Amino acid sequence: GCGSDESAGSGSGKDGGKIKIVAAHNQTDPDNPYQDGLLKFKEVVESKSDGNIELEVHAGTIGTEESELVEKLKLGAADVVLVSPGFMTQTGIKEVDLFALPYLFDSYDHWEQVVDGEVGDKMAKIINEKSNNDFKLIGYWSAGVRHYYGKKPINSMDDLKGLTIRTQTSGVVADYWKQTGSVPTDVAWGELYQALQQDVVDSAENAYPYFVQQNHHTTDNGKYITETGHDYTTRFLLVNGNKFDEYTEEQRQIILDAAEASVKAEREALYKQEDEAKQKAIDEGAKVNEIDRQPFIELAKPLQDKAVKEMGVEDLLQKIRDAK
Amino acid sequence: MGFILISLFIILMLIGIPIAFVIGIVALLGIMNIPYIPELTVPMKMLNGLDSFVLLAVPLFILAANLMNSGKISEKLIELSLAIVGPIRGGLAHANILVSMMFAGVSGAAQADTAGVGKILIPSMRKKGYDTETAVAVTAASSTIGVVIPPSIPMIIFAGLTNASVGALFLGGIVPGVLIGLAMMIFIYFMAIKNNYPRYTRAELKKFLKLFVESFPALLTPVIIIGGIISGFFTATEAAAVASLYTLLISMFIYKTLKPRDIPKILIDTLALSSLSLFALAAASALGELMSYYQLGTVAQDFFSNHIGAKWVFILIIIAFFLFIGTFMDAIPAMILFVPVILPTALQFGIDPIHLGLIVVITLAVGLVTPPYGLCLLLSAKIGNLSIERSFAAVVPYIAIIIVVLLFIAFFPDVAFYIPKMINPTLF
Amino acid sequence: MNRFVKELEKVQLTLGVIFLSIFFIVIMIQITTRHLGIPVIWTGELANYSFIWAIFMGAAVMVNRREHFNFDFFLKRLKGKARILLSIFNDLVLILFTIAIFYYGIQVVQKFWDYNWTALPEMKMGYVWLSIPIMGGTMIIYTLSHLVNHVKSWKEKGAGE
Ligand code: NA
Ligand code: NA
Repeated sequence: GCGSDESAGSGSGKDGGKIKIVAAHNQTDPDNPYQDGLLKFKEVVESKSDGNIELEVHAGTIGTEESELVEKLKLGAADVVLVSPGFMTQTGIKEVDLFALPYLFDSYDHWEQVVDGEVGDKMAKIINEKSNNDFKLIGYWSAGVRHYYGKKPINSMDDLKGLTIRTQTSGVVADYWKQTGSVPTDVAWGELYQALQQDVVDSAENAYPYFVQQNHHTTDNGKYITETGHDYTTRFLLVNGNKFDEYTEEQRQIILDAAEASVKAEREALYKQEDEAKQKAIDEGAKVNEIDRQPFIELAKPLQDKAVKEMGVEDLLQKIRDAK
Repeated sequence: MGFILISLFIILMLIGIPIAFVIGIVALLGIMNIPYIPELTVPMKMLNGLDSFVLLAVPLFILAANLMNSGKISEKLIELSLAIVGPIRGGLAHANILVSMMFAGVSGAAQADTAGVGKILIPSMRKKGYDTETAVAVTAASSTIGVVIPPSIPMIIFAGLTNASVGALFLGGIVPGVLIGLAMMIFIYFMAIKNNYPRYTRAELKKFLKLFVESFPALLTPVIIIGGIISGFFTATEAAAVASLYTLLISMFIYKTLKPRDIPKILIDTLALSSLSLFALAAASALGELMSYYQLGTVAQDFFSNHIGAKWVFILIIIAFFLFIGTFMDAIPAMILFVPVILPTALQFGIDPIHLGLIVVITLAVGLVTPPYGLCLLLSAKIGNLSIERSFAAVVPYIAIIIVVLLFIAFFPDVAFYIPKMINPTLF
Repeated sequence: MNRFVKELEKVQLTLGVIFLSIFFIVIMIQITTRHLGIPVIWTGELANYSFIWAIFMGAAVMVNRREHFNFDFFLKRLKGKARILLSIFNDLVLILFTIAIFYYGIQVVQKFWDYNWTALPEMKMGYVWLSIPIMGGTMIIYTLSHLVNHVKSWKEKGAGE
């Protein structure tokens, strides 16, 4: 079935006729929470529109790189995409990096309160304005809370001294890890299993559903998990604002409703998977320990202050801290 | 629409438009037909398709092979191979195969081996009384081992497409590569007895040792590359860079066969060869983009689960399909286009990506000697000054040999994985 | 025209070789620094982008040298004017496609000029995207010169018959 049924492209929303929406995330694993979220999106959109809006979900098929998905969104080759703050900064909107700061949030409650509240609205506005309406934020998803995992458990910050850690190698995140005494190292995600296995890198950091799915917890350099909880991650659910404005009032409402439902579905799926993945890791022999986060949080504060000053969002940081 | 695009593809190809451009043109027209995908996706995807760290290994492995040829290291290896297998009947042909296996340990591609070895061995085989057909066929067929024994550019591309580990694929290629070489040597042995091919007198031990010592720095290259990758000392891309640097250093300072003034030409040759295959890759990325909007992966998955339940039928279909594609397309664009389509089905059948990778890479290696687009056969026929038709007829038995080994690996994967599992049990 | 094309090819080939050398050196730096434990973060991006420039410049030069692989058995069967006519047709097809690459390439450059590199935020993505219209533009020039030569020989054949 090629081509002949494509006459109703998504540009033709104005007349209220049928439209097609291409929704994409970059994870090829069908069990990823992103997939739950977008499938919910599809379900709500299609049922509420009585089938007048068709939604196609791409799980990594039109891009496994977030940068590519952002480009496609801007061009209109994708209508709904999911992006992390790190990749959004590439588009020149440096304020979004706020959400990538280490130890910004201290729990999911805190995180939800912030992104679903005033700060979240403000950030949505910044993204929309700075991108000239190329990007419109319609929901905040999460990719889990990130922890350290490596060849030995961390009981105090001193234990990190000299350890190589696979993490971002530039920006505030890299600066933070350097200050802990560890050495940020660049390893591609696809090669990380082997790198941990063969002692190329001493440790890494990520959220349970992601590194357990890749079996990192079964490697020599990945089996000690210390719950540093340094990043309650934020993901942006974006649509192309210019295209969105062309839809009818009714279509817009349906999309916004669907976005809301997808936010709920994705977060629920993620929280559930996080518990399951942690249990799986423990069952398969990984050792999990908790740690007093206070010294780590203290270390992050001056870096946060400096970073928000450069981004010009000191007020937002204050609001996030006040929400604790 | 699909039918129109496929017809257009065939017509443009037949009237002589370069294949990489045919791929690009079809991608552009297909995307023009989908209103919600803007046309500038085509050039964007061409660039994005190249924006991958693993691909950097392609020109680097080509550079290493070019340096081996220019530095006359291939000649050293030929001498050594002759000293080892020369005394067997059909010694020159055996040496041709053995040197290709050694060369394969350095080179990630096959053409450089055909060129380097063919230029020397095809004329000398003829001089010693082999018929041109045999000389051309052995040279072409044995150089396909270059992409089976690691390092291997197609394996790197496959790993990039599927997130499979390059190290595991490389290890998996060793046994099939050696098996193909040995099977060809057995075939040559019987041919040699039948046709009374000449053999060489055994080299004196002293001479043999001297040759071995001289070749030692060159023979070390595969050890550095494979060892480095498997031990995690460097990535595939870095290994390629190290291999080039190492080859450059030994040919300049140990063999003293390379002068600084030779380098620009080597760089130009490297750029030429790599930009040809990588431009085809870029164009294929654009066409692959079009195909992914049609979600062909899901289509294939549905088709196989509804109509074909058996794993072995699926494997045979994959082999037949890539044998066909390989006759008119390079391995790299062929994988870019079709691996994403077959991968979901393969996973559903429980086929390990590493196993799938070996099947696909070896199958596409056959494409190097099947006309019309069989680069190694074309090159070898040109060196031997033999028509494509006669060259192809001569190479058919060797193709059969490769396919037998391929089927063996396809249905008894443990054979290929036995050694790698011993070296590193956790890789699989 | 022919002389200009020759000069252009020389410049472009040199550019390609320079980018190839840059990416080779950068990768060496990356290996060295990583094993010394000094994280150098910009090497990956710089290596990738010089590689892309090298390949695109090389691909354009290969158009001029007609090295991109094509099947010529049909072309070879044709004789005289028919063969030249088909060559002219093929040139026109290539020109149309390369014009599209050039035109859409310029649009890409405009749209994404201001995006920045990840590790080197002061560098613009525009510097990378620019390789597309330059490849497309030079491919147009090379193919045009092939077209001119084909038309010339068609005219000569016409006078001869
Ligand atoms: Na090889
Ligand atoms: Na072929």
